[in-house]
Amino acid sequence: MYRETGLVNSPPPSREEDAVLLGQVRKGDEQAMAALYDRYSKVVYSVALRVLRDSAAAEDVLQEIFMQIWRNPGGFEATRGSLGGWLAVVSRNRAIDALRRKRPMDQVDELTLPSSYNLANEAERDSMMEKARVVVRQLPLEQRKTLEMAFFDGLTHTEIAEMTGEPLGTVKTRIRSALITLRKALTA
Amino acid sequence: MNTARHFEPEDLALFAMQLLPQDEAAAVAAHVEQCAACRQNLTEVQGDLAAYAHTVDLHTPSAEARERLLKQVAREKKTIPIDRVPEKQESEHETIPLASYGRGLGRGEYLPEEDPPHRRPAGRLLPWLGWAAAAALAFAAGNLYQQRDALRSIIATQSSTMNQALPGVAEARQVMEALTDPTAKRVVLNVTPTEKPTPQGRATYVASRGTLIFVADNLEPLPPAKVYELWLIPASGAAPVPAGTFQPDAKGHASVLLPTLPKGVEAKAFGVTIEAEGGATKPTLPIILAGE
Repeated sequence: MYRETGLVNSPPPSREEDAVLLGQVRKGDEQAMAALYDRYSKVVYSVALRVLRDSAAAEDVLQEIFMQIWRNPGGFEATRGSLGGWLAVVSRNRAIDALRRKRPMDQVDELTLPSSYNLANEAERDSMMEKARVVVRQLPLEQRKTLEMAFFDGLTHTEIAEMTGEPLGTVKTRIRSALITLRKALTA
Repeated sequence: MNTARHFEPEDLALFAMQLLPQDEAAAVAAHVEQCAACRQNLTEVQGDLAAYAHTVDLHTPSAEARERLLKQVAREKKTIPIDRVPEKQESEHETIPLASYGRGLGRGEYLPEEDPPHRRPAGRLLPWLGWAAAAALAFAAGNLYQQRDALRSIIATQSSTMNQALPGVAEARQVMEALTDPTAKRVVLNVTPTEKPTPQGRATYVASRGTLIFVADNLEPLPPAKVYELWLIPASGAAPVPAGTFQPDAKGHASVLLPTLPKGVEAKAFGVTIEAEGGATKPTLPIILAGE
């Protein structure tokens, strides 16, 4: 992944570097903006594409999110955890809004992440992504499908319950159990 | 806020994914703001979701997407405030020897009080030059002060104009959204054709937002102390909902924009009646215009 970002001989990027880049973006540094884009555009685009299943629509979400960073780099604060994690969740939320043809809600960006994952570190992010994929693949099928329907398809627990014929409580528990399994595996 | 009754982690997960109904989401948001334990749980859940988001298969956006972004970034160049540099001036002042002021000779020596200096013509002019410079500075400062006041006044005026314009912009956007909303119910209100010109009304209504736009033409002038009143007749069979009073202009044209209406009321029909000034709570027959 370093090769793709042209950082072959550079040390792995860190959360501090994200903060430095954001600081430069705040001062109007277009190169810093390009660097942030190169670092996170794949994740942002891929999450939006998974939700929207339409490359043009996913690129619109990508553009919207990075322009938001350019216009208001202070919108993401370092206390909110890693920028990579924040961008991934914001991308999902914006894509779901686009799916529902809703106006973006302010609440979309109001999220705080724990500091347990350093998603700014490319190597750690790669390792975490691979581990998370393995964990998700090993989840019981019904848990995996339920979490997928909620997160990537934006279906409410009521809608999932109607579609699967499962009780509401079961749907909620499956989502929760899947997330707990993921957390345990990543923090082990 | 009762912070003792915490929300279940299951509900926090749904909240984090914005899958709760609006009222439940509002309740969770309010609770989380007050409750550190639930806030911590929510943070953990957000972290889980961020990790889960990273399980997607990675795809690279097109080169055009990058180009488009960077072009837009260049178009929206930021204005960075220019740093003020008063320090240099101050340091320049500091380098001037104290002795060059007042009675100093420029070498740090002072004349004795009882020995007034012999003044040459140039020496006599120097104090006046000082006063002239001070007067010029005062004049310039006055000018700057006036310019600053003028600029402040312009900024205040423009700010006020913007503040006045903003609600109008929001309203215009709301009108545009309703007019272009494919789910909007569009109704033409008619009377049985009698003679020309025939009064006619058009209502555009978005039930989910409670947004209504009504335009009417060729309306008859009203008797004194009377108004036309628009009614929304709910599909549920509930009582008609008053949707605003209006009076036509000299050409018989009138409109009702964005009256206060409850959201989510499906409309079966719309009607217009003539009521006493101030409007009525129930429609008075006959119905002048009606449409489904």
